[in-house]
Formats: sequence, C-alpha cells, structure tokens
Amino acid sequence: MVRLITHNLLACHVKGCTTNNFPLVFQDVQVELQEAEFNPDFIRNMLPRLEWTALVNAAKQVGDTSLPLEQPDMMDDELLQKLHHALMEIHIIEGAMVCQNCRHAYPISNGIPNMLLAEHEIG
Amino acid sequence: MPSTEYLFVFAQSHEEFRVPELLSISELYGFTIGFNRYANVLEKAVKRPFMILTLDNEEHAKILAQRCIMIKSVHEFYAEGASYDALHEHNCRARPQWERYIPDTSFKFYVLGYNFTISQRCQHEIIESFAYMDFLGKIDMKDPEVTLTVFEEYESDRAPHGELHKYGEFKQVYFGRLIVDGTARALIGTFNVKKRQYFGNTSMEAEISLLMANQTLASPGKLIYDPFIGTGSMAYTTAYFGALVYGSDIDGRQMHKTPGIIRAAAQYGVASRIMDLCTFDVTNHPWRCGSLFDAIITDPPYGVRAGAKRLGRKKLREDRDRFQYASPRPNEPYIPPTKPYELSQLVTDLVHLARYLLRPGGRLVFFLPTVSDEYAPLDVHAMLCDGMELVANSLQDFGSWGRRLITIKKTSLVEYPPPSFDSVRDAEESGDMYVPAHKDFREKYFQGFKKESES
Repeated sequence: MVRLITHNLLACHVKGCTTNNFPLVFQDVQVELQEAEFNPDFIRNMLPRLEWTALVNAAKQVGDTSLPLEQPDMMDDELLQKLHHALMEIHIIEGAMVCQNCRHAYPISNGIPNMLLAEHEIG
Repeated sequence: MPSTEYLFVFAQSHEEFRVPELLSISELYGFTIGFNRYANVLEKAVKRPFMILTLDNEEHAKILAQRCIMIKSVHEFYAEGASYDALHEHNCRARPQWERYIPDTSFKFYVLGYNFTISQRCQHEIIESFAYMDFLGKIDMKDPEVTLTVFEEYESDRAPHGELHKYGEFKQVYFGRLIVDGTARALIGTFNVKKRQYFGNTSMEAEISLLMANQTLASPGKLIYDPFIGTGSMAYTTAYFGALVYGSDIDGRQMHKTPGIIRAAAQYGVASRIMDLCTFDVTNHPWRCGSLFDAIITDPPYGVRAGAKRLGRKKLREDRDRFQYASPRPNEPYIPPTKPYELSQLVTDLVHLARYLLRPGGRLVFFLPTVSDEYAPLDVHAMLCDGMELVANSLQDFGSWGRRLITIKKTSLVEYPPPSFDSVRDAEESGDMYVPAHKDFREKYFQGFKKESES
C-alpha cells in the first residue's frame, strides 16, 4: 500500500545517484483505493514538504487527474479533499518504482516497497 | 502559576516515568503544572505514590487522567499530616474548599492504605473522626455527588524492624475529594501483547509502549516514524492517540505477506493510520528530504535477543574478489549482506538522523540499555549534538542492567544535512572519543556484566 504521499517522499538513494533520482516512476502497478480519515491540517502541514509536479504526475499515472497542474496559492476545502484522496487513499499494492537516472527498480510487493540496496550500491 | 492544589495518586511502577509523562501531556494540551512543593526534592518525591501538584483548574486534571498511563486518580487536595490530629487541623483550615458540600450533597467516604490493608473497624473509626465536617447530605455508595478519600501511606510492605506494620504507623495521611479516576490505565489491557494478532519475542510490553507514545506528544495529524519498527509495538499506541505512522526495518520478512503490523493495527482500529511500511536500512535510507516528522519513536535492537544490523560486510577479505556476491542470480531474490551495528554508534547515528528528519520542536523517543554499575549521566549527554536537547531520561531498572527511556527534542530551527552514519568512526579516528558505558552492550550482557578484573 504505497501511498502517493510516500512516493513523494522517497528518492533513489543508490550511491552516487544524486541527480534526476526523484520522482521514481511507477511500473506495472496494481492500485487499490482505501478510505482514510480526512485531516485538513495534516495536508496543509505536509504541503511545504511535497513536490507538487511529481505528485500531479504520479496521480495521473495511476488514473487520478483531479489535481491542477500548478500548485494554487489558495487551498480551499475542495482542493484539500482532492489532495487527501490523492495522497492518502490511493495505494499501490504491487509493481515497482524505477529510478529514471540509474534504472534501479524498487519492487513493491504486498504493498511494501523494498528499498534495500545491493552491496555495490551503498556508500 | 497555577494555584489550586491537587492530590495525584500514581500506579506504583515505573516511578521515573511519572513526571516526564505529566510534563509531556501538559505541554501537548498547552497548560502548566506547578511543582512548587518539590522545588529541591523532586528526585526523592518521585519515588512516592502521592504528589501534590498545582493546576489552573479541574479540566486540566481530567485531561491528564484521560491520557497519563501512570495516574490512578486525581483529587482536590484538602489536607495532609503525619498524624490524624495534624490532618484534621489542616482540614479545618481548608473548610472554604468543602463547606459548599455541607447542606445538601450526597457523598461517599473511602479509606485506603498504601502498602497496608486497613481493617473495616479502623476504617469506620477514621470515617467517624471526620464527623466535624457535618455533611448533611445523604450517604450514597453507588452514585454520590462527591467522593472523599483518605489515603494512609506506609513506607513499605514491612515496618523498619522487619515485622508487619501495625495500624497507624503510616508516614503520611492525605485527604481530598475525588475529581477523576485515571482512565488511561485501562489501555494497558487494550494493548496487551498476548491478545495481539501479531507479535514477536522482542515486542514491547503494552504499558511501556503507551508511555513512549505519550513522550512523543502523539495526537491527530502528527506524523511519526519508527526506523526499527520490528513488530510495530509503538506504532499501535501512537496511532491510537491519532498520529499517522511510518515504519521501516532492514528485515522485510516481518512486514511481508498481509503484513502482520497491518493486521494488528486493524485489531485496534488504526490500520488507516499506518502510512506505509518500507524495507530499508536506516543507514542507507531513501527519505528525500529532512524536517518531515513530528516525532521519531523506536526501540533499537541492542543485541540481546535480536542484534542490530546494517548493510555492509564485517571486513573485506582481500583474498576474495569483493564483487563475488554482489549481483543476484536471476529469479532469486537478492539478499544483501549485513554487518552488526554496535549500540553506541547506532545511538549516536540515531540522534543525528533525528536532527535531520525531525521538524523543529519534534521529539526523538527511544530506549537505551545501560549497565547499572557503569552508567554515568555523561553517557546520555555525550550522544547529544547541536540543536538536540535532552527532555527526559527515565530508568526502568532490571538490577545489573536497565534501560532508559530517552526523550530528546530538536530545539533548533536550522535545517541540517543528512548524517554520514560514520560519526563514531570519524570521532575514533580523531582520537577525542568519549566511551559511554553502553558501548558493546551485547558483549557485556552475555558476560553477565562482570568487570574485566573479575573475569
């Protein structure tokens, strides 16, 4: 159940892979929707830490096109609801996240991303 | 400063955890607790099951009783004394506090001994001795409007000369009106590990998991991270208090196949608050940026039942090709090699990682095992770094060893770079390294904590 908020906070961390290592691109994903409690304060607090464009693209990749391309200056309740749905309720159950730079694929299985690196990939 | 005095009755366990818990919950709800009475004697006072603290109003007492695991009950404080004569004299002076209950308030009277069972007959005599209060309302044992309680505090189970206590040999007697019973203690039953869908041999017991969650100031909308999540003991309690929880672990086995943590979280109704569980080594972590979490809570594996591991090899053997194992065989899951992670290095790294990953004001809460004879307060202070301040350090004593619940706060507003995870090695190389007593804890544990000279 990799949520899009999680996807937005993870980058490829292979040794030396420091440019274009975010966002990871979803591959062969299986998606599930699960309801979550709406907490607008939490969404507002997280926004400064999120990469908007990466979120919009990731949402699109899994079939959610409700978010505006540009981050609006004002957050109204309707937008917060959409963000809540995109960030918290879309779960990736199976598939992988692939680094566009070094091509490392992080597999997702049973909703758990395996971010472990191989011996030759660590610093 | 708050002005009204309240009598707090605590559960008689985890003494050193009581005051830090009270302070955490009052900070979370934005009010202060007055410890004026204990200005210079707090260390001694915390060993006793009764404390008289000041609060602005009763609502604060109720908040504390709903959330603090160590509180058994809170009372409006009327009087105390080393004898009943002294208590009654004090209570007469407190008359303005209770005289409004004289004309027409139903009431109930309780007499309780701490470390002593008071006979029915004596209880009756004690209650009679309060006759001068002259309450005119009816006595109602089931649903009274006010409950008045007398607590006799006996030093220990046995009198100083080793025989049983005699009635009346108490140290202090307290009197007050019940405001609220501690309801948070019932959560210890709710989170009982034995009734949990999923647990392991290193799962943290319920009471401690709850105390830890309170130290994080967990509340709705907070984001909390456990970097050694294991079987998730603290994820359930922090999520129960409303927080959203991330967990990671180097060992993915504990999380795969309908993750047990999700099943257990569902049992407590908090599955949707488990944000995600990830498999990675925290020394090679994929978090994209810092200042993410409101708290980091963890019980680092310290090697007795499960040792800490990090990616890498113990030592590279020059006679072997180093890339011999590096790439996985096709169609076989690759399992990278791991090496042991020495405790003092892990702890120093954890503090630095927390400084990077916590938001300003965020807290790091974790257990540090210590060797009782060798521990020095400097062991804890030496692990701190710029921008990280010690909030609490509470010992759970197991005799020759113990573990300390450490609470550290990120006080700095500065954003810090990600840590190198080589801090200890760097310091070792520069030669100005303080060696804390918890270094090589695992080896010391299996040697039975004998000093080198003894073995």
